[in-house]
Amino acid sequence: MNSSTIQNFSGYNPTWCLGCGNWGIGVAIKQALVQLGLTPSDIAVVFGIGCSGNMNDFLNAYAIHALHGRAIPNAVGIKLANHKLSVICVVGDGDCYGEGGNHLLHAARGNHNITVIVHDNRVYGLTTGQVAPTAKKGYKSKSTPAGIIEVPVNPLALALTSGATFVAQVFAGNVIQMISLIKAGIDHQGFALINILQPCVTFNKIDTYQYYLEKSYQLEKDYRKDDFKSALDKALQLDREKFPLGIIYQVEKPSYTDQIPQLKDKTLKDQERFMNFDDLIKEFI
Amino acid sequence: MVDFTWKIGGEAGFGIMTTGLVFSKIAARSGYYIFDYVEYPSLIRGGHNAYEVRVCSEKIHHLKKNIDILVCLNEETFQKHKSRLTKDSLIIFDEKEFAIKDKDIKLVSVPFNRILSDLKGKPVMKNTIALGASLALVEGEITELLKIIKEQFGKKGEEVVSFNKQFAQAGYDYVKKNYSELKNWLTKKTPIESKLVMTGNDAFSLAAAISDCRLYCSYPMTPSSSVLATLAGWQEEIGMIVRHAEDEISVINTAIGGSFAGVRSAVGTSGGGFALMVESVALAGITETPLVIFLAQRPGPATGMPTWTEQGDLLFAVHSGHGEFPKIVLAPGDVEEMIELTGKAFNLADVYQLPVIIMSDMFLSEGHESVEKKFVDDFISKYKINRGKLLKKMINDKLQMTNQAQNLNIKSKNFLRYKVTDDGISERLMPGTAGYYYQANSYEHIEDGHTTEEAKPRRDQVEKRNRKWLTYLKQDFSLPKVYGDLDKAKTVFVSWGSVKGAIVEAQKTLKETALIHFNHIYPLDRERVRQLFTNGKRYVLVENNSWGQFGKLLTAETGVEIKEKILKYDGRPITAEYILARIT
Repeated sequence: MNSSTIQNFSGYNPTWCLGCGNWGIGVAIKQALVQLGLTPSDIAVVFGIGCSGNMNDFLNAYAIHALHGRAIPNAVGIKLANHKLSVICVVGDGDCYGEGGNHLLHAARGNHNITVIVHDNRVYGLTTGQVAPTAKKGYKSKSTPAGIIEVPVNPLALALTSGATFVAQVFAGNVIQMISLIKAGIDHQGFALINILQPCVTFNKIDTYQYYLEKSYQLEKDYRKDDFKSALDKALQLDREKFPLGIIYQVEKPSYTDQIPQLKDKTLKDQERFMNFDDLIKEFI
Repeated sequence: MVDFTWKIGGEAGFGIMTTGLVFSKIAARSGYYIFDYVEYPSLIRGGHNAYEVRVCSEKIHHLKKNIDILVCLNEETFQKHKSRLTKDSLIIFDEKEFAIKDKDIKLVSVPFNRILSDLKGKPVMKNTIALGASLALVEGEITELLKIIKEQFGKKGEEVVSFNKQFAQAGYDYVKKNYSELKNWLTKKTPIESKLVMTGNDAFSLAAAISDCRLYCSYPMTPSSSVLATLAGWQEEIGMIVRHAEDEISVINTAIGGSFAGVRSAVGTSGGGFALMVESVALAGITETPLVIFLAQRPGPATGMPTWTEQGDLLFAVHSGHGEFPKIVLAPGDVEEMIELTGKAFNLADVYQLPVIIMSDMFLSEGHESVEKKFVDDFISKYKINRGKLLKKMINDKLQMTNQAQNLNIKSKNFLRYKVTDDGISERLMPGTAGYYYQANSYEHIEDGHTTEEAKPRRDQVEKRNRKWLTYLKQDFSLPKVYGDLDKAKTVFVSWGSVKGAIVEAQKTLKETALIHFNHIYPLDRERVRQLFTNGKRYVLVENNSWGQFGKLLTAETGVEIKEKILKYDGRPITAEYILARIT
């Protein structure tokens, strides 16, 4: 085992607001990586754009600070090229469920072996408080002064019905559980979504720490995480403002790269160069 | 000299494309040069499909005016294409299907329908009869056709092969028996220099494989789609991954991820798909991630005319991406240039760490040309991969370092990915290399990749990125190729990309002309390009669009302005006749 420390992963000091849920998430991600015995050289992290994505400067790793919404396809590409790297996306709700929603569905379908950690605070923090796709119907914000007309996206149900093989939800106030779920997500060999319920202390005065403490609960001890119907039931509770916490769903299925014969022996980047072009040329004679 | 055009037409969905390609291949296998072109609507069934093949004993670069043999699988074919017939043209058709009353045309009626019903064939097999009949008429080798049928149907068993062969033989025998005025246009040559029959898309696909491209991402869009199909078919054999992603945004971002992680990556699309990719072209620009973009144009705007041709996306490609960052745009003039420039594009992307756009269009992407096999073999043996300043782990686990890398502060764990250098190019370390890390940052950044909003590092990074262009112009930019004698020429054509062949063909009939043909489109070397233009000559810009986009670019980049223009923007390619009619 490698002996990396929190300090090895620590870049610049974060610039998040005091009391922001990102602090806890940032600590949990680093702690999970340390506990997994990984070093900054063993992982690739793709950051979205938003307060969450600003972790790019605070976490040491091989990384792409992507375009808004596009972290997932960058991560898919990294995994295809080098499936030995652990690939993680650190993204926000607007980033992953709004701008890049399409990529979430299709990466889940492909069971791409990446771990998507979504900071779900129901607002756009970095652009100063507009409504996010996960906001409650009627939520008033700078862009929806009369209250948002749309119903919220249900990220857990979306991921489940799209074919994700690991779906978890956790509260940003519970660092211990975040560490454990992030570790489980990275260990999972397939597409993992971790939705983190996170208060935005600056722009969201409704979905507070108190709100989530009241509305969330730990999954029952005898909950079976490999049962799709139970998982969907749990996911649909979001629509009634009930937030189950823990691993909602996990099954083992071959990941995308597991199913590519070209990658059986080596990563794409480490393959020998193909040189026998005569067979290809025959097609044109 | 043999030089004839054979054209076949019929309803879409009845195998016209396959049939045309078979004729091209038989001609190439018999020792002739070919150039072919397809016309089809954006439909799967119904509508008119046509395929023409020009066959010549000498190298050709384009189509020709007249059709010498027209195979009409329906009446519409005759009506649509009769304007290109002459009194010597031959028409293969079935007089039981429709009558041709024009007197000055030589008719070769073949009982397609009777043969079909006698042999219990399906309507699609009319093509095979027509191929047999065509070969008989030009004294071609029926054995070549029978061989191809075996290649096509061999997997389905001997029975299917022999069943299909009958139709070829029946068409062939009927013409041999009933017509005496046969043309000796396709008699097999000996010895035969082996030729490949390739489209521009085939050429890109093959050259991408030769260039060690390992990740190709695409979303189907005419006329780029056959690259996706070809590479997807090869991927297991050649160790490439081909990803048909959910949309073009995912396509380009997957490729950028793959390239960041160390493999040569490319995407392919047409104008509309490229429009979706454009934000990420800027991402490749600021993160300095190598990327090859294959852009096969079709007439726009928006959905436009999906299956026709135009050069309408040049300025869009040149200026694609928000903000200022260097990119390189190349536009091959024919299949051979497509092979060479694709190989070069992958090296340029790696050396300069930027997006390289290869521009094709439907005409180049989907039409076949014959290429000497030796040309391709030589390209393969001469091609050298140049990954530029990429540092990668070697088998013995030691970091492969150039002298410059040793000068870097490599003891620092945070690798200086964006170190400011004289040539503008910084070292790029293969992600995963133990002991180091860095980020590819879409925000402006300092040398180690961390975000910055300070003025000086911003200036330094902008200037560093811009310097890559200067280095490119010094090291790798190629001046346009001149066809004809530029000193003696009174009329000088100026063009780019796939229009080359039409102009070269037109030059055969014109006196004292030259062509300045650009395939390194952007950036342009102002001083060296200006020197090609002198006073006292007639310059004519030729482009397959309505704005004369390259003319605008040339003026903006070099100050050279060309007033006389030959433009075409009806979805059809520019032909030699089109040019000749406008040069008096």
